[in-house]
Amino acid sequence: MLILARKPGEAIAIGDGIKIRVLEIQGGQVKIGVEAPTEVMVHREEIYLRILEENTRAATEAPEDLSSLASVFSGDKTRRKQPSKK
Amino acid sequence: MMHAMATETRPETQGEITVSTSRFGQLSVNPEKIITVTSPFLGFPDSRRFIVKPHGEESPFLWLQSLDDPKLAFVAIQAALLIPQYQPEISSLTRQELQGSPDQPLEILLILTVPKENPEGMTANLLGPVAINSQKRLAKQVLQDPTRYDACWPVFSVDSAE
Repeated sequence: MLILARKPGEAIAIGDGIKIRVLEIQGGQVKIGVEAPTEVMVHREEIYLRILEENTRAATEAPEDLSSLASVFSGDKTRRKQPSKK
Repeated sequence: MMHAMATETRPETQGEITVSTSRFGQLSVNPEKIITVTSPFLGFPDSRRFIVKPHGEESPFLWLQSLDDPKLAFVAIQAALLIPQYQPEISSLTRQELQGSPDQPLEILLILTVPKENPEGMTANLLGPVAINSQKRLAKQVLQDPTRYDACWPVFSVDSAE
């Protein structure tokens, strides 16, 4: 990993299109400004990981067909009639 | 009340393309129905083209089927059907990316995680809704504020109808 020391106001350039600037340091927290092309996704890592995880779960859990769901939205009575196989 | 949809039996018409999917077999797809994601779903960088396939005429569920990965399909639902008051934040930058004008309403889908053994334990991903500009056929999963929205919102436990 490349490690660079920066002061507030100073930045790092990544390639031609991306700049990461330290804006402010206060109370153990760093404010960072990111300039990047719109096609580059910029997210807080934990949100990125959360969505990645949930997308993967949704895709792998997705049933082969949705017949199991037929009753789910059809009212309270049918809601309890799930085929419990636990 | 029901619209007769002839798409299932219609022979492949000119201009349609055939794609193979693991759930639905060979699908004839009208190229004009193809939705392109402006940035891929996290975890699935190689899938750019999708179609929205209703599960059935009377079902609220939709399939978001990838045309680039036969195995990839998400179960989804119109956000408005599930949570009428849900209003995810869509930045002007995202609107630009989807080529939508500032006042143009975008279609919002929620991806559902449906546990195989317990479909009623399904959850909706409110943290990463999918915004679609149906006119331009562009879509994007738009990440929301994690302090406001849950990635695993239980669809049924909040229902106090009982």
